[in-house]
Formats: sequence, structure tokens, C-alpha cells
Amino acid sequence: MSEFDKEVRRLFPSTRFEEANKGEVVVKADDTEIPALAQRLKEQRFSLMLLFAMEDFNGANGITLWYVFEKEGFEEILVIQAAMKESMESIAAIFPPAYLYEREIMDGFGVAFARAFDQRRLFLHEAYPEGFHPLLRSFRNMHIKAKKAISLSEEYPFKEVKGHGVYQIPVGPVHAGIIPPGHFRFSVIGETIFNLEIRHFWKHRGIEKLAEGMAPEEGLLLAQGICGDEAIANALAYCMAIEKICAIHVPSRAEHIRALFAEMERVYSLLGDIAGMVVDVAYPLGASPFFILREEMLRWNEALSGSRFLKGAMKIGGMAHDVQPAALSELSRYLGSFYSRFTEGINGILSSSMVVDRFETTGVVKKELVLPLHLSGPIARASGIHADVRVQHPYGLYQQIAPSNKVTEEGDVLARFRVKAATIKDSVGIIKRIIASLPSGKMCAEYRLHDGHAFSLVESSRGQNIHFISLGNGKIERYKVRTASFCNWNAIEHAVLGNIVPDFPLINKSMNLSYEGNDL
Amino acid sequence: MAIPILSMLRQKVTEDVTFKDEEFEALGIALKGEINAIFGKSIAIREVDTGSDNSPEIELVNLTAPHYDIERFGITFVASPRHADVLIVTGPVTLNMATALRKTYEATPSPKWVIALGDDACGIGIFRDSYAVVGSVEKVIPVDLKIFGNPPSPKEIMRGILGFMKKIREKNHVGKQSAQ
Repeated sequence: MSEFDKEVRRLFPSTRFEEANKGEVVVKADDTEIPALAQRLKEQRFSLMLLFAMEDFNGANGITLWYVFEKEGFEEILVIQAAMKESMESIAAIFPPAYLYEREIMDGFGVAFARAFDQRRLFLHEAYPEGFHPLLRSFRNMHIKAKKAISLSEEYPFKEVKGHGVYQIPVGPVHAGIIPPGHFRFSVIGETIFNLEIRHFWKHRGIEKLAEGMAPEEGLLLAQGICGDEAIANALAYCMAIEKICAIHVPSRAEHIRALFAEMERVYSLLGDIAGMVVDVAYPLGASPFFILREEMLRWNEALSGSRFLKGAMKIGGMAHDVQPAALSELSRYLGSFYSRFTEGINGILSSSMVVDRFETTGVVKKELVLPLHLSGPIARASGIHADVRVQHPYGLYQQIAPSNKVTEEGDVLARFRVKAATIKDSVGIIKRIIASLPSGKMCAEYRLHDGHAFSLVESSRGQNIHFISLGNGKIERYKVRTASFCNWNAIEHAVLGNIVPDFPLINKSMNLSYEGNDL
Repeated sequence: MAIPILSMLRQKVTEDVTFKDEEFEALGIALKGEINAIFGKSIAIREVDTGSDNSPEIELVNLTAPHYDIERFGITFVASPRHADVLIVTGPVTLNMATALRKTYEATPSPKWVIALGDDACGIGIFRDSYAVVGSVEKVIPVDLKIFGNPPSPKEIMRGILGFMKKIREKNHVGKQSAQ
């Protein structure tokens, strides 16, 4: 029995443990027990990773809720299943991200959470008709009629901050830059941000419903299409979940190439963040080296995989194509010059007082927020918490190669800049190590599909992505995705408080969260 | 006095550009000619994302980055639809974005053109049958050009816009009008 098992058994002396996949400890609970359990888990410093619902799970009628937790220092995850009766008590007061998950479930399945302090719709905006709940099995996926006119009373009620001199700035969904849509509602006193409320899900494409009934190979395209610059991360997580269900052993060469592509994605994605942060303090010349390196990385992606975004590279059981050994050794040589040019660019930025002046003490994410908000990735590492799925829940090649992450305490824009720069350098090192140690062999395993369900975790460029897949009769019954951005968006609402409005774009860019990964 | 003269004579400090892409340059120069003829030296583009996977946006941003730098050819991305000649729309148009897209289109002064960019926007993407999308841009606003791809590469986008300019000139004889 693992340490995690013991820890969980201490917490739940009389609970029924379910048979589960390796790395998952599954407990069944009564709906009435949930709030007390959540409270106990919070006291033991567990963190809510995911909460979602599934209809008719394992032949049971009705809705089953899945609460998924992790604890620092443990590889395994804890899954609590509870059959939902008429209503379930909200745990949003105990685990803050639950206020989003519960609203997501209310929209999807039309169920209620008692004592939830926020009952507004989440991904179904005003245009959706009343009583429409797309994730119920009774709804067959098809185009629906949007509401023609929306009356004033139907409009989304934002939190209003009132007082002498307080005014509001509404921004979005269509923004000034070439970026995705989101709505930001600032309450401002003078120039200082007093409150920020973010409204998302403008890009909601109904990915989870689309996946229902798909063959696993077909669903892979959806996973890859969640978010362009996390195409590998999400496709990898998707494949890992299927491989866990069907006990597929991925060949070693394919594991290496998977990690190689995952790190290349991390590099080009974070280069965009770095360049964007410098652009946002009006220093385009300083940003140019990073834009140039990023374009070069995108071209390497194309040379290796045929796609500038590494799309179509992943396959269940391995990789779709092998890579050319000559191209790899050339890439390894190129990364030498990449490293020195990148370092030169970063040193140039960090020695510019104009930039550092804007970065320092701006948009602080407090360390004590990381655990309750379940923040992950570079944001968490810049605020003093060593969060990295590759370290905490090692998968694939990361069981052999561990990243050496930089952790800083300050939590401001400068800290995130430093952490992201260090992550890029580390990823470059990992890529070179992978190329140097690449074994020969098959690129893809033969497999047969089994029914079952499994979770998988990956570290994307933005942090922890978790996927859940349930297969029945060879088709997807339920596909649930939560990308790092879903939780990390909450960090911005806190980080901007007390900052001036003109610093908001910079703070936003320093996190560079995904809209589409959040909205699904 | 010696210093200014010396600096004029001395070799310039700008770096040599080693990443020039002949095909792209040729596309850009051809495009510049068309834009000069039709739009009086520049076109202003407003981008609207209605549910893409963000890779089209990344490629559009890349067009403004050093390798491509399309502002040289008279193409600028503007912050408001009120300043735009052309809307580039990406994504399958989610139900949540349909109204915003319509309003953005209405806010764009005439004459205006719409480019649907990427497979999703053109109605052949993987999300087209979802409850959450309208299905393609042309179901919401009139579309003048489709640029396919998942996502289209910077060069494909340039080729698309170039073909589009020629089409506008032939169809509307805009070149003649502006010359008069």
C-alpha cells in the first residue's frame, strides 16, 4: 500500500475503496458527506483539481459527481465519486474554484447546488434558450436556435462596486489586439483597479458534447483542437488516458519524440509570452529577438512534423510519423545558437531599467493563493510553489528526465518573466538530451480498445492540464478536460488589485492564459 | 563636426537580414502594388476571433513580427472596427460570439470586406456540427473571401489576400475609380 493510500485511509477510516487505475485512489461517498469530507481534505492541504459530472455512470441512473484532489508530495490523485440526489451542497466556500465547476455542471446538466453563492450561468450565455442543458444524454448534438433578442433583465449581472468616485470600465469581448475574446469588467478609483471581474466562455465550442459517441481516434482531433499552442499537450494527455484504459505500452522511441515535441511546444509558446511582455512595455526592439527565435522554432516544428503547430503528430499508442535523424542532429546544433541568442536577449531586457521598472512589483500573485485557487505552471513557480506535473506526477519520458525548475518568491511580472525564461532554457536542455539519447525502434504500438475510464495529467506551457475519458463499447461516453488556464484565470482577478489600469495588459500578458482552453 | 561626418560614412549598425524569403518578398511587393491601386497605399484590418483554437491569431501576429513585417506592404492591423477596411474572422462563430461579430460588422464603415480565415471559419472545421456554434462566418455576415487551412501559414494568408485584392479590382473597378 502506498503512502498516499495510507494518508487517504487515515482520513476515511470507514470508506469503501473502489478498484482503480494505477495512480488513482477512488472513494465512493454519499452526497451528504461531501461538505464535511471537503472540509477535512482542505485541512490536510489537499487541493481541488477538478470537479465534473457524468450521467448514467456504470449503469447507475442519474448524475454522478467526481471530485478530484491532489496533495503536494504525492504522485497519486484522489477521486471521490458521489451519486447526486436532487441537489448537492456547494463546496465553493471551501474550495474556491468549485464556484466555476459547479456552475459548469449546472449549465451542462441542469442540476442545482444548494447554498452556492454564485448561481449565474457560466458557459451558456444569454443567447442560449432557458432549460437547455447540452451535456444531458437526452440532448442529441445539433445546431440550436439562439435567442433573437435579449432583454435588459436577462443580461449578465456583473458584480457592482459602488461608492464615491468608483467607475467601471467594460472591455471586450472584441479586444484591440489580435487576441481571443473575453470580457473584463474593471471597477476603478482614479487609475487604480479596485475590482476586476472576468467573464469568459465566448469561445465555447461544445467540445465535451462533440466527443460523445466518437471513436477514440476521432476524438484525438478534438483534443488537439482545444488550443492551438497546447496542441501537443492536450493530444498527449488524451492519448495517455486512452492508453491507460486500454493498457497500451508506448514504444520507447515514441515516448522520446513525444517529450521532444512537448518541450518544443513549451519553448515556442513561452517565447510568445516573453516577447509579448516586452511589447507591452512599449519596447518592440527588445522583443524582436524573441519573435525571431519563435518563428525559427515554428519552422523547426514544420520541418519535424509537417505542421508549424505540431498538429497531427500524436497518435494513440505512439506517434504518427518518425522524424528524420539528420533533421534532429541539425536541430541540436541550432539549439546551441538559440541558447546564446536567447540568453543575450534576456540579459538585454533584464539590464534595461525601463523594462525592469515596469515589471517589478507589478501584478503580484500572493503565494498563499496558489493552493486554494489551484494555480499551476509558471505562475505558481513564480510565486514560490514548485508546481510542475512533470515533477509531481511524472509521465512518459519524464519518469527518466526531470526538469530543473526555477522557483522565485516575488510573484510579480518580473518573477514570471524570469521563471518563463528559465523554463525555456531548461526545455532547450531537455530537447538536446532527448536527441542525444534517442533510441531506435517502433513509433507506434498495436492496440485493442477496452472499455473503462481514466484520468491523465500533463504539464502544458501554462501548467497542469487534466483529462478524463470514459470509453463504452469502443466509443467515448464522456470526455472532460480542464486546462491550466481554467484555474489560473482566477489569479489575474487577484493580481491586478491595487495596480493601475495601464498595467493590466502587461499583467495579463505575463500569464498569457488560454481563452479557448478555458472555454472549450 | 568630425563625429557626424564619420557616422555618416561609417558602416551602419543595423544587422544584415539573413532570413529573407524570396517568395514572400515577391508576394508582398505584388500585394503592395494592388493595395496602392485600390486602397490608396494602405489597408486596415480588424481581426475578430469567434472561437478559433488561437493558432490563426498566432499566425496573424507572426505576420507583423520581424520575419514578415507586413506593415512594409501597407497592411496594418487596427484596434477598432471603425478604422477598418477589412474584417478577418477566425473560428466557427460560437453562439456566444455571434452577436459580437454582427455588432463588429455593423461598426465597420462601408465599403468593407470580410475574410473568413481558417477551416473553422470556412465551415469545414471539426466543430461545425456542435450545438455551440453557428457553423461558419458566412451564416452570420457576408463573406468575400475564404482562406482555408488549419491554420493557414503566413504565406498562405498573404497569397489569399493578394488574390482577394485582384478580385476586388476586377469586380468593382475600384482601381479605375480611385485613379479618377
